[in-house]
Amino acid sequence: MKIFKLPDLGEGLQEAEIVQWHVKAGDEVALDQPLVSVETAKAIVDIPAPYAGRIVKLYGAARDVAHVGAPLVAFEGGDDIDTGTVVGKVEIGQTMIAEAPAAATPLAHGIKAMPAVRALARKLDIDLTMVTPTGADGLITANDVQRAARILAEIGPQELLRGVRKVMAQSMTLAHAEVACATIMDDADIDAWPEGTSVMLRLIRALVVACRAEPSLNAWYDSQAVGRRLLKNVDLGIAVDTPDGLLVPVLRNVERRAPEELKTSLAKLIQDTRDRKVPPEDLRASTITLSNYGSIAGRYASPIVLPPTVAIVGAGRIMKEIVAVDDKPAVHRILPLSLTFDHRAVTGGEAGRFLAAMMADLQRP
Amino acid sequence: MAQITLVEAVNLALARAMADDPNVVVFGEDVGKDGGVFRATLGLLDKFGPERVLDTPLAENLLAGMAIGMAAEGLRPICEIQFSGFAYSTLDQMLNHAGRMRHRTQGRLSCPMVLRTPCGAGIHPPEHHSESPDAMFAHIPGIRVVYPSSPKRAYGLLLAAIRDPDPVVFLEPTRLYRLFKEDVIDNGEALALDACFTLREGTDITLVTWGAMVYETLQVADELGEQGIVAEVIDVATLKPIDFDTILASVAKTGRCVVVTEAPRHCSIASEIAATLAEQGLLTLLAPVQRVTAPDVVVPLARLEQHYLPGKPQITAAVRRALEFA
Amino acid sequence: MTTAATFQIDHLQFLDAHGKVVAPLPAFANDPAALIPLYQAMVLMRIYDAKAIALQRTGQIGTYASILGKEAVEAGVGAAMEKDDVLFCTYRENGVQIMRGVTMRELLLYWGGDERGSDFAGPRRDFPVCITIASQCLHAVGVAYAIKLRRQPRVAVCMCGDGATSKGDFYEGINAAGTWRLPVVFVVTNNQWAISVPRDAQTAAQTLAQKALAAGFEGVQVDGNDVVAVHHAMREALAKARSGGGPTLIEAVTYRLADHTTADDASRYRPPEEVAAAWKCEPVLRLRNYLSEALAWNKALEEELLRQCNEQVQAAAQAYLDMPPPPVEQMFSHLYATLPAAYAAQRAAILAAAAESTQ
Repeated sequence: MKIFKLPDLGEGLQEAEIVQWHVKAGDEVALDQPLVSVETAKAIVDIPAPYAGRIVKLYGAARDVAHVGAPLVAFEGGDDIDTGTVVGKVEIGQTMIAEAPAAATPLAHGIKAMPAVRALARKLDIDLTMVTPTGADGLITANDVQRAARILAEIGPQELLRGVRKVMAQSMTLAHAEVACATIMDDADIDAWPEGTSVMLRLIRALVVACRAEPSLNAWYDSQAVGRRLLKNVDLGIAVDTPDGLLVPVLRNVERRAPEELKTSLAKLIQDTRDRKVPPEDLRASTITLSNYGSIAGRYASPIVLPPTVAIVGAGRIMKEIVAVDDKPAVHRILPLSLTFDHRAVTGGEAGRFLAAMMADLQRP
Repeated sequence: MAQITLVEAVNLALARAMADDPNVVVFGEDVGKDGGVFRATLGLLDKFGPERVLDTPLAENLLAGMAIGMAAEGLRPICEIQFSGFAYSTLDQMLNHAGRMRHRTQGRLSCPMVLRTPCGAGIHPPEHHSESPDAMFAHIPGIRVVYPSSPKRAYGLLLAAIRDPDPVVFLEPTRLYRLFKEDVIDNGEALALDACFTLREGTDITLVTWGAMVYETLQVADELGEQGIVAEVIDVATLKPIDFDTILASVAKTGRCVVVTEAPRHCSIASEIAATLAEQGLLTLLAPVQRVTAPDVVVPLARLEQHYLPGKPQITAAVRRALEFA
Repeated sequence: MTTAATFQIDHLQFLDAHGKVVAPLPAFANDPAALIPLYQAMVLMRIYDAKAIALQRTGQIGTYASILGKEAVEAGVGAAMEKDDVLFCTYRENGVQIMRGVTMRELLLYWGGDERGSDFAGPRRDFPVCITIASQCLHAVGVAYAIKLRRQPRVAVCMCGDGATSKGDFYEGINAAGTWRLPVVFVVTNNQWAISVPRDAQTAAQTLAQKALAAGFEGVQVDGNDVVAVHHAMREALAKARSGGGPTLIEAVTYRLADHTTADDASRYRPPEEVAAAWKCEPVLRLRNYLSEALAWNKALEEELLRQCNEQVQAAAQAYLDMPPPPVEQMFSHLYATLPAAYAAQRAAILAAAAESTQ
């Protein structure tokens, strides 16, 4: 039931006498339909129905006094909104919640140190990863930090890497973090080479042959998209050792170039690199890299693959070795080869075939 | 100057306050003729008469509620709740009215009352007589909570509490009521509220405590001293508001802190101090703040009390943990 | 067997529900015109009450507890008190408070959520509205004690409801008042309802007045809708207290014609027929009928009174609406006599946050 109380009659009037009812219990009334006439101190007024509905009951008869705020008419139905409180207002929301179980977060194996010790390390400019903890359960103590500071003070100040060395540090960090390196090694028997053969030219030629045999090693790999591009041209990065550090200038389109032209270009490139005259665009966008570290020392190596390339060929120091020829020992010159590849993009089989192709070409006279 | 116990110091301060100010009125159960069950109000009835020293009906809410009414009219009421276990019902009047009166009338009415009650464990009484309600009262906005640990401080702090224009809950350590004596001069001088008392200076570790636990803590400090560990001992004294400056300065010096309370652990005042040290003194800490507390159980009857109340072994162990941390 | 004690509770009524005199009127009521100030007070507080409800419905004040139906209790009590007496009341005594000199603007400030509403400019010693049930009984005892100690001719008047008489604080208060013969009058407004709990579910005692007997002093029941009865009982009780005769408990029987508060819907627990029937006994009409019959009141006077009251209430409501909001500072400014240093940082942080949010 909805109880309709006598509304404010205005001007502070508190009650009125019921003159005549216009409806009775059981009637259906429309909104604003006059329910009753009442007489105030000032006038006779009609009280309209505040809503449409069916009358259940009337309170008071003709000549009775009706009071402002007192029950006047009861209407049927009416889901009166239950405030559900006697003080204030309790908000009613309609959202449903369905809590999902919280995902377990992986354990963080961090460095353990009290805040004061961390602050001390910051103040002394000590990297906590460099400090050996002596506290219980791997806790770094203030003494540990002090000790590390003393040691570093004795060793002398750090040299902050700049320029080429800094770039190398940064790019090798990235490469190491990302690339899934695998290396295969073998030896090429180059005893058949004529006098005066240019090692670099033969390496480059063999590399081009191998790229044709196994194009998947002359490619760019995109780890975000998990995709690769097989490249038609072979832009060869040449690892060059310079007084400033390692630089890798690029010889473009080596697959198309004549050996003589390649020889001069290579020599010039290396000299320009050492003189720091190579423009930036020629220091990037190689498709595969060659490192002839053997010209200094070293037999085999597993050099770092630089993304987005997927392979680096390493040539070791040429040496004379006893090899089996027709089941008999013979002394031949051999060229050790190392092929490091990004196993995310290149299979062992592909790498193997690439190396075999290189070796086959190198072993020709 | 007299050599008196803590409860005698309370008595002295009450007499002093009543002599100095005719508005001071003392009331409670058995405080008049009997001088209070612990004799804290001994002799006051004879000195000041039955209108100012009132034996009331048995009704703790009445005591706190009428103190509020009296204080609003400009009296300085001091009600005694016989045991802290019976003080819990006064939380309603203290929290809903005493702490609010000044604020909700915007200063028109105020509430300079003192509610005194003996509390703490250690006298092997029946149930409900060993309570530590310090944290419950300290949680109330608009009041002060004071908890002395010696006759001198009881005298000086009670005078301060009576003279303060705002409500004060004055907790008295029952166990220390007569445990030792001290020279107290009845000069009417109040000690500072809202201030810690540094009882021992030290460099190796800070021991923070209040009430009856000050006694054991000082003993531990002395024993540590013999082993070359110099502990600083701070008696917090005013539990609300707490003088954190003193505590923070001490921990900045020593780097290690043990907070000792006989109250149960959960939401104890020790927790408030530990949290504040973590918040404002984090970089000075060389070890986690140690809390020495009673466990979160119902205060056991006398037979198990010694396993419940923290004592010297627990305080010492906590000191060791803090020192050996790193 | 002998009788240890017997008791009798008198019920006072002078004007019946229609405003007819049914008992010899007390001296102050002999001249009907003397009742006009009471009538005026009752009409004013009813119009204020309606305005307060309207302000709540339009979101200008928060939850409000209406006094509809108990105007005679309020006027009867308010008119009897002296200026220096002290009032303790619930949240349903705005009428008495108005008579005591609390402004309607101050009352609306309180309901609107501003502590300045309790900083009464008028009755400086009256206690603020007490929401917690019956706790004011103990405050009244404390004030009465102070009055007695200082030998002052003042009385504490403690108003509470029927529900309050079930509370420990009530019993502790009347007990202490009786024990010490304090200058306090307890006025229990029995409006039959404690939210949804009817009077007969509140206590088995036949009357609420008789609870005074358990505390050792006199209890009297009056028709709370008869302002003459209320006022008479109050005058007697105050005179007794003022002259050292100790406390009295007056049970004023009336009916809560409105919901418990503006958030409550009483039709959930009581039949509208009961409310309609109770309206027939309401106090304002009753008194108007008496005054009109006695030729002390007429339509013109009624219109003029309504006009004046409306004006006053409107002005007060406007004054309230025109008040700037309370400063955020208000949370700290009277927390203690002097804010302890420990809270300076909290205060600063809150003020800073408030300043930022208004930018």
